[in-house]
Order: sequence, then C-alpha cells, then structure tokens
Amino acid sequence: MEVKHSSSSPSSFIDQLVVPGDVILDLSSMSNQTIKLGGGLRQDGDSISVMKAGQLRFTKPNKYWVESSHKRYVPSAGDNVLGVVVDTKPENFLVDIKGPALAFLPVLAFEGGTRRNIPKFEVGTLLYVRVVNANTGMNPELSCMDANGKAGEYGVLKEGYMFESSTGLSRTLLSSPPCPVLEALGKKLSFEIAVGINGRFWVNASQPSTVILVGNAIQKSESLSVVQQKIYLEKLLKSIQ
Amino acid sequence: MEQRLATSLIMTVNEKKFIESALLSDIRVDGRRPFDYRTLTITFGSEDGSSEVQLGQTQVIGFVTSQLVQPYIDRPNEGSFAIYTEFSPMADPSFETGRPTEFAIELGRIVDRGLRESRAIDTESLCVIAGKLVWSIRIDLHIIDNGGNLVDAANIAALAALSTFRRPECTFGGEDGQQLIIHPPDVMEPLPLIIHHFPIAVTFGFIGKENIVVIDPTHYEESVIGGSMTATLNTNGDICAIQKAGGDGVPQSVIMQCLRIASVKAADITTKIKNAVESYNTQRSLRKIKRHDPSPVVICGDHDDDVAKHHMERLNLGSDESNDMEIGRKLNENDKMDKRHSIAKGSGGGPASWDPYSRGVDADALRASLGSRVATPPAIYKEESRQVKPNETKSSKQSSLHEVTKIELETSQPKSLKDAVKPKHKRRNKSTSNAFAH
Repeated sequence: MEVKHSSSSPSSFIDQLVVPGDVILDLSSMSNQTIKLGGGLRQDGDSISVMKAGQLRFTKPNKYWVESSHKRYVPSAGDNVLGVVVDTKPENFLVDIKGPALAFLPVLAFEGGTRRNIPKFEVGTLLYVRVVNANTGMNPELSCMDANGKAGEYGVLKEGYMFESSTGLSRTLLSSPPCPVLEALGKKLSFEIAVGINGRFWVNASQPSTVILVGNAIQKSESLSVVQQKIYLEKLLKSIQ
Repeated sequence: MEQRLATSLIMTVNEKKFIESALLSDIRVDGRRPFDYRTLTITFGSEDGSSEVQLGQTQVIGFVTSQLVQPYIDRPNEGSFAIYTEFSPMADPSFETGRPTEFAIELGRIVDRGLRESRAIDTESLCVIAGKLVWSIRIDLHIIDNGGNLVDAANIAALAALSTFRRPECTFGGEDGQQLIIHPPDVMEPLPLIIHHFPIAVTFGFIGKENIVVIDPTHYEESVIGGSMTATLNTNGDICAIQKAGGDGVPQSVIMQCLRIASVKAADITTKIKNAVESYNTQRSLRKIKRHDPSPVVICGDHDDDVAKHHMERLNLGSDESNDMEIGRKLNENDKMDKRHSIAKGSGGGPASWDPYSRGVDADALRASLGSRVATPPAIYKEESRQVKPNETKSSKQSSLHEVTKIELETSQPKSLKDAVKPKHKRRNKSTSNAFAH
C-alpha cells in the first residue's frame, strides 16, 4: 500500500509549506490505493487539495495531513488537552479546551466512575483530559480515562500555573526526541510539565520563580531558531546560578 | 449562556492561587517585580495626530482630529476637546460592539479628567472668533489588543497623538477682512496644539488578602485584583487626578507610597513620549525637505522655452524676486491666459492639466534652473521658439523633436519636481503659437 511517487509528485510537497489551493495528489494516477487524509486536506473529485496553510506531513503507510500553528484549537479525537471547567451540569462538566465550542466531560468518564462517586470540580479547575469524540456540529466529548479505562495521567492538575502557547509550540514540546529547550531546562531545574496539544501547558515546581522562569523561557523560545534557543538558554541558566 | 461562558476570560483556580503566592516572593508571572513597568513602545502614523502605543501585549491607537464649532455659551473664548473610546471585539472576546460598556466609559473619563482638570491643553488658543467659532478637538482611542492596563496605554496614546497633532492655520481675509480663510497644510504650516504638561496615568493593582501592590497589571492580574488605583501625575509631581476602583480599601500610607512611585514612573514615561515625538518631528521636517529636493523625473519635451517666458515676464515687470506670492500670482494669470487659448484651440492628448505647483513656485529654484539653461537672452530666445513652432504642427515631427531636446536637457542638470509639471504650459504655449502661425 505504499504510495507510488512516480506519476504525481507528492514527495515534492512532503515537509514543504503548502497553501490553500495547492493540489498535492492526483488520484487518477494512483488506483487501488487507500490513503488517509488528516486535517487541512480535502478531496475534490480526483485530486487532493490543501485547505489551510502549513507544512504537509506524511507518515507511512498512507497518512497525509497539514500541520500549522494556531492560537485556536480544532478538536480531534485522541488528542490530549488541558481543559478548564467552566460549568457543572447533572450529566456533564462543561470544559473549555480553546475550541470553537465547549467540550462535554461526562461525570462518569472517570476510572471507576459510578453515580455514587461523582467528582466535585469547582469552576476553574484545571484538567488533563483526552478528546474522545470530535464531530462537526456537536460539542466534543472528553474523558479522564485512557482507552483501557484506567486513569493514567489524566485528571486534575493541582497548584502550578497554566501558560498559553500556540498549537505549534505545544506540538514541538511534545515531539520526540524531546525539544532542546525542555532538555536544557530539565538538566538544571526540577519541574513538572503537562502539555496539551490545544495550546496550553502547565508547569509546576517547588519554587514559584522556577515555574515563571520555565514558562517564560518556553514561550520565548517559540520565536527563536535552534541556535538562538541554545544561546538564550545558556545565558538564562547562567543568570540564575 | 454557553456562549457567554466561552467569551469571558477563563482563569483557572491554579492561576489565581499562583499569582498570589508568587507575589509573596516578590515576583510576577511575566518575570517582573511588583514595581516594574512593562516595555513601552510609541510609534506614529504617517499622518499628524496619530499614535500607536504598545505596553507589553496591550495595544492602543490614538487619533486626533479637529473641527470648527460654536463654543459653549458659558465659555465663549475656549475650544473644547472630547474623548471617544472604541473597544474592538478583536482585542478581547469579552468586548462587544454597540453600546460602550461600563469600563469603556470609565476609561474615557479617566483620560478625559487627567487632561481637563489639569488644564494640560491650552483651550483658549483654540479660539478663532470669541463666541462664534472655536476648534473642537476629538480624540479617538482604539483598543487593538487587551493585555491589561488599558487606562495607562490609552492615556499615553492620547498624549502622544495630541502632541503630534497640528490644526490648520486660519486667518481673516477677503474684501472686508472679515472672511475666515482656513489654509490647507501645503499653503501654510499647520499649528501644533499648546500642551502645558503631560498628565500621565499610572495604575496600581491590589492583590490578595495582604493587598500586595503591583504596578501596571496584566489582564491575568486584573482578573484577580481586589481593587485598583489610577493616579494621574505630571513630571513636576503634581497630582492631576486619582481614580480608585474596586472594593478593597487601601490605607493612606499605601496611597502615599503609590504616589511616590507613580511620580517616578510618570517622569520616565514623559521622557519616552517626548523623545518619540521629537524623532517624529525630525522625520516630519526631513520629509518636507525631501519634497523640494531635485529628483530625477522623466520630462517630456522642450520646456525651457516656457521657463524662459516666465523668467522674461518677471524681469520685465521688475518685481521683487524673493516674493513668492507675487510670482505665484503672475504664474496664475499666465495660466489662466493659457487656458483660455487652449480651450479655443482644443489641444488634444498629453499629460493631465492638474497642476498643484503652478502657484507658489519657489523663486530661488526657478532662478537656479534658469541660470544653467537660458544661455541666450530671453527675448531672442522667444523669437527663436516662435520660428521653430510652425514646423511642429505635424505630430510625427514633433515627437522626434521632443527626443532631441530631451537628450539635451537631461545632460544639463537634474530636474526638480516643479520642472516635471511645466510641460503643460509648454503645450499650451505651443498651441497658441500654432494658432498664430496658421
């Protein structure tokens, strides 16, 4: 099921910047193949065209999607996000995940959740949750359990501070191998971090000054190149010693 | 309901707690100390009286305009000013279009009070005819991005815009000397406002049970502050206005401490505004000089004949050569005469007849351009040009002639903008002389 790069030239677009209107694949020349389209791509008859500006990504065997950095988040199933409880309803918690609509977190979507032990969240509680369902025209559905019904890392985040970022920055923070900024900071300082793909990250440490330093360093690093990041971090870490 | 929840700023419990606990160790979320101001950037638009202020993430645009109105009856010889605020929904999701919110009104009032009560703007100088006509100054403040502390940013934007604003000069003239003439900016230099001092607003926030004082709160801090105080001071340390908002009470000693800090910050901000305005004014005057600089312009055809004509006329009349207005008037007369001829003849094609420089031609520039070009005595030259003219009736010949003269001219001297618009006269002259030839 490998995509043939012979006739059409998707390989030339992969990892390149694409803009809306670009046609990246011609289906007429690649019969008997299944391809999976992710965000930012659309099928127009026999051609696959781009709907948003960003970098075209491809993973074997057949997944294509466009990656870009936004201030807003478009929910998609399987994402790990940071949400803020804004209201409590009998059946659901209403959670803000920076999306176009508030997300529903069913009161039973916790490990061992029954009618008897519904958790009590006050407005403004910070949660690390997973998006289960994200369909257009419906509020996204969240869960505090992994696919096996275990709590895992999900749940309430206590203390610390939540910083805002772009979705692109969140993605680089989550990338493996770990992003150089986190690595450099982690060598000198001890802190906890939780990154939501929806453009939020939470930092906690024993000292408030550490939290502020880490949070601002990460936010500032977005606009710097790799070399600049290195210099910036070296200077920063020297200044605190 | 759900929509409203989504548009308001959502603060987590963690953040609220953290801001307070971090302040206990004298540090704020953006890395500042409690009495550090965010970085302030002041830029100006291309037009006079427009400013853009950035205070950290906060962004405010100020724009000042003026209008002639009837004064208030109780103050017949004073101009007026008014402040209008515009909260763009782009700046903050909680801002909505339509009726100004409570906060929008409060912001306008604080800025207004600072300027009005301290008499920072000299309103009497805005009087044109006592009891009849005065200048009314309108200050528009547009909030572009809300990063907290809009009051200070808006106040600075207003001051910066006011200090670069210039109102048109107006004088009395006409036959009876009673007619009011408003001179456009290119005729008479517009006048800046008289601003006696800069009342600078400095905002403090009081956070938590201990009422920890912070200066210049961000919008995250604004959502947890129990109370805030805006002190408006100038460089001399005079307090122009104080606004205390929010429920929390503040002891007298804290207020005095705030005022001391505010006077230091006010001095800092005043110098920043003054420096920004100064550099704007230098650029402004540089821009003006540039307009008169000789710039290489493509010129069509034989125009020194035309220059010569003007020159000759001026010599004949023996007028004071340094008197721009005199020359301007003469040129106008010349223009009118030409126009009459051209209408009669119905000259076709060529550059547009729009000519902003026909009046007010700089005498020195004219003389300079003449000095190098008119070698032959003007009278003889005119004769020559007359003789040449009949040959030019055919357009094909004309164009080739243009080619020749063009090359000659380009070698002679760099052209000024005024030269560029001259060919109009030339064309008309040609048509008139053609009329004579036929």
